[in-house]
Amino acid sequence: MRIVLDRPRCEGHGLCEEAAPRLMHLDDEGVLVLDREEVGEADAATADAAVRVCPVAALRLV
Amino acid sequence: MSGRARRVVVVGNGIAGLTSAHTLREAGFDGELTVVGDEPHPAYSRPALSKALLADRADTAAHHLPPPGHGATELRGVRATGLDTGRRIVTLDDGTELPYDRVVLATGSRARRLSALPGELTVRALDDALLLRERLASRPPVVVVGGGPLGMEIASGCRAAGCAVTLVSQGPPLVDRLGAHLSRVFAAAAREHGVTLVECGSARLEEGAGHTRVVLDDGRVLEAPTLVTAVGDVPNTRWLAGTGLVADSGAVPVDARGLAAPGIAAVGDLAALPAPHGPGRVPLWSSAIEQAKVAARALVRDDEEPPPRLEPYFWTEQFGLSLKAVGRLPRQGAPEYVEGGPGGGPALMRWPHPDGSAAVAALGLRVPVPRLRRMSRAAS
Repeated sequence: MRIVLDRPRCEGHGLCEEAAPRLMHLDDEGVLVLDREEVGEADAATADAAVRVCPVAALRLV
Repeated sequence: MSGRARRVVVVGNGIAGLTSAHTLREAGFDGELTVVGDEPHPAYSRPALSKALLADRADTAAHHLPPPGHGATELRGVRATGLDTGRRIVTLDDGTELPYDRVVLATGSRARRLSALPGELTVRALDDALLLRERLASRPPVVVVGGGPLGMEIASGCRAAGCAVTLVSQGPPLVDRLGAHLSRVFAAAAREHGVTLVECGSARLEEGAGHTRVVLDDGRVLEAPTLVTAVGDVPNTRWLAGTGLVADSGAVPVDARGLAAPGIAAVGDLAALPAPHGPGRVPLWSSAIEQAKVAARALVRDDEEPPPRLEPYFWTEQFGLSLKAVGRLPRQGAPEYVEGGPGGGPALMRWPHPDGSAAVAALGLRVPVPRLRRMSRAAS
């Protein structure tokens, strides 16, 4: 599966980074960087947690 | 609680209930899962109601969340009316009885009201926000009672909609939540955006000629066709009467794992968490999620140790300013400035605590939670 970011929606809270630090991080300007977009079964639960902690639903899994 | 859970009922379909249901599945629970929600809507993001949904006329989907993946039976538009802990049954207002082995109490809280008058609007649920949004379309003058984060966000949204706004606050706005410095910053921003700020000692509502009126303790009377109050929230725990689970405060005290009793978890806005200064509610988005994860795991894995509790994360957006904060505010006194200065412009602030930790707040800066937490923990 793939993580998709709706960039205009992202407010830079960083709760997703906290949930999935190996998959994404916010850079020095507070802009979200997806370090990995394609995720396998092993990371599916982590990716799902990152998607679901976002208060503005800026992330989704497809 | 011994024995394998076969039937779990989650009462409440806000972010706490939703996260509980997901976490139960992730923790290996593959039995019968039922989620009960008293609203007809699927779970949504409550913080968005008073922020983007109210302020941005173009955005009608700010509150949407990804569809649930827990595979539970979702009962929407029904309210729990009773919990029988002896027979292990949740009773619903349509007469349904739901048996359970484990139960999650996540019915959240409701707006505290100043009156029973129909002219008093509150913003707690999606339908409340949609109703207010609809009212604002004709740009009526608005009086908002309540100078906390919610009242200020509502005032900001009403200004963005083009309404004349008067905000009534008990003392300076936001001072109880954020301290004197940030209170001044946000009050100045509100005034610059054209809000009339009225401070008072107390306020009550009464029915006037055609409008509901706000009567202040000094005798002043405010009238507006649209009146919104935001004066706190009350845990939804009346349905738990007689269970012995509810404290005098109306909240449900829980242990460090979020358990109120064996097999019974309580998470989100109704739960009083253990804290050094006595149990207290932490009615915030990320706290609800964290509580739900810990408690749901505790329900299905009896022996697991709770992780250390994270410091609460709080954010607000109003009058063109954003604030993101970690750690307990308000702190008295002037902050240390890691970036920026005291003028009300973008700033990263720190209020050190004697133990070396700190409350940290980013004003108008995109500083993500992990960095705020690192700064909150670091010794000064």
